[in-house]
Amino acid sequence: MKLSREFVRDGETVAVQVESIDGNRFRVRVGDNSYEYDARALADGGVRIQKLGDDSKGSVAYGAGSQQSYMLRVDGKTHTLEAPASRRGGGGGVSDGTVRAPMTGTVLEIMCKPGDMVEADQTLVVVSAMKMEHKLSAGVAGTVQSVATENGATVDQGAELVIVVPAES
Amino acid sequence: MAEQPPFQRVLVANRGEIAVRVMRGLRELGIESVAVHSDADEKCAHVLAADHVVALGGNTAAESYLDIDKVLAAAKSAGAQAIHPGYGFLSENSAFVRAVHEAGLVFIGPNADAMDRLGGKKAAREEAVAAGVSVIPGTEQDAGDEKLIEVAKKIGMPVMLKASAGGGGRGMRRVEREEDLAEALAAGRREARDSFGDDRMIVERAVFPARHIEIQFIADSHGHVVSLHERECSVQRRHQKVLEEAPSAVISEELRQQMGAAAIALAKRVGYDNAGTCEFLLDANDEFYFLEVNTRLQVEHPVTELVTGVDLVHLQLQVAAGGKLEELLAGHDLTPRGHSIEARICAESPEQGYIPAAGLLELVREAHGPGIRVDSGVYTGWEVPPFYDSMLAKLIVWAPNRAMACERLSQALGDTAYLGIPTNVDFLRRIVDDEAFRTAAISTDMLSQRPELAAGDSATGNPGAPDDHVLAAAVLCQALARQSGGGGGATSSGSTQGSTAVWQNLNGFRLFEVTR
Repeated sequence: MKLSREFVRDGETVAVQVESIDGNRFRVRVGDNSYEYDARALADGGVRIQKLGDDSKGSVAYGAGSQQSYMLRVDGKTHTLEAPASRRGGGGGVSDGTVRAPMTGTVLEIMCKPGDMVEADQTLVVVSAMKMEHKLSAGVAGTVQSVATENGATVDQGAELVIVVPAES
Repeated sequence: MAEQPPFQRVLVANRGEIAVRVMRGLRELGIESVAVHSDADEKCAHVLAADHVVALGGNTAAESYLDIDKVLAAAKSAGAQAIHPGYGFLSENSAFVRAVHEAGLVFIGPNADAMDRLGGKKAAREEAVAAGVSVIPGTEQDAGDEKLIEVAKKIGMPVMLKASAGGGGRGMRRVEREEDLAEALAAGRREARDSFGDDRMIVERAVFPARHIEIQFIADSHGHVVSLHERECSVQRRHQKVLEEAPSAVISEELRQQMGAAAIALAKRVGYDNAGTCEFLLDANDEFYFLEVNTRLQVEHPVTELVTGVDLVHLQLQVAAGGKLEELLAGHDLTPRGHSIEARICAESPEQGYIPAAGLLELVREAHGPGIRVDSGVYTGWEVPPFYDSMLAKLIVWAPNRAMACERLSQALGDTAYLGIPTNVDFLRRIVDDEAFRTAAISTDMLSQRPELAAGDSATGNPGAPDDHVLAAAVLCQALARQSGGGGGATSSGSTQGSTAVWQNLNGFRLFEVTR
């Protein structure tokens, strides 16, 4: 059994390969490094892992998600691991000037109109979701190209609300 | 319980964790439970945990859990004798309480008159003054924006703007500068209108630094009121509680008695007759100021239960059925024992401005062990709907002392996994592990003064670069999930594997017995 994945770490692509040695033992290559692990699946969806050969503590890891974006919880911390090709919408990554609804909600107030010059952190739309108000900004300074919603509208998660053309700097 | 149950069948007009927790209490007293649910909540944990189920239809709270006619019709059709409202939704709506009585049913909570006298911030403040409880200087009514701004300037900045009908921090704002008052008022009114259908606001002096201390009390219909002592809920973000504990690390026995006496005086004054909470702000000089009364069971009630040994849901049901506290609590030592802390687990990203999240929980792993209690409303495979509060579950620990309770909570949070959507679990652990929390040097503005606690790794400019071990763990998880066909796999469509665990975890589950 062999499984290969790629993740982005510090902006670099890192190849990770898991190969079964025998029983519960696995050879794991992370970039140029090679490790040996004991790993076994648990009935609750977790995997007990222990790095061999260096007196490392064992831990139980829980993972879920897709190849593009994998959420892992290990040693009491949550990691969201991204594959190289994936580009997250919404809050993550570099802003492209498009303001999207962070989740399904209601548009309370639109605070810009096409042609407006706006700052990166300027509130452009106020959306109410899960009983809280969220002030959304473009994340880049520029000119409002279009407003694709109206006050009181119900919007789906990820819906494009405002498009800002970034200013040349 | 060998005794006659106080009711045969009780409808729980709520959802998620609190509905599950109330139903657990009902079952322990030999009472059948009736769940109600919106369309989005058809498979919510509380529906699975109930003895009987009635669909309300609709998706938003207004179309379902807030619809008085629908809830009453459900109670009638299911043959319930009483309604437990949980918290939020209709729990503090005196019109609902009156409608319940008119329908010939029992409301598990205070009478409507007491609720009215304590419900609005203005009314409660007047009652507190009359009961001899000190209040924060400010307005008692909304005489329009102009007047509120004038009073704010007279009190001096900073001030607090609050929704008159409010609770849970909705519509509440601290304003530092006079020029920001008008905009803050407008935003506060909007939020208040959305949350309570009432956009009236009041203004008060901001007490800072302050600790949030609240007294849990229980009253019966025979004029007896008992204080179950304080909880401290000073760790808040945007006026919503994040961590709650009992007892407070800074309350002397003398202060505990004083605050308890104030809460009891207020409850007696208005003829209160069920569980309630009197909230205070405590300043650095041990002066306490009345904030408000929550006329319902609180989210954070478990910490009181763990240090006093009482079951608040049982007591609520028993006093609603006419029980006497002196009998119900006879021989029960209510002195706080040990230390309890609760962490509210929410589907939100503190790292990204607390944006709430909805969506599929691909894997849920809740902590367990000595001194650990989880009041949960979710399970693996449950899709968190976008229509309601973002709280998924509460992790509550008990230990003989505060230091050990902190360590137990930290470890339990480490053992907790809710995967598939962002949660605040790492954020909670950062706070619990912080020196300020460990030494109880907390105040209501701790989180706004320490933004790095919310920001986490991203504050260091190196957003969580995973080391080799983490990457190895991720691919081992994926490899073994493939091999065993179990959970934890990387799928493109979103995995619902392991969701059958609910059939084993929720005891007493019956196949959908729809009563309507």
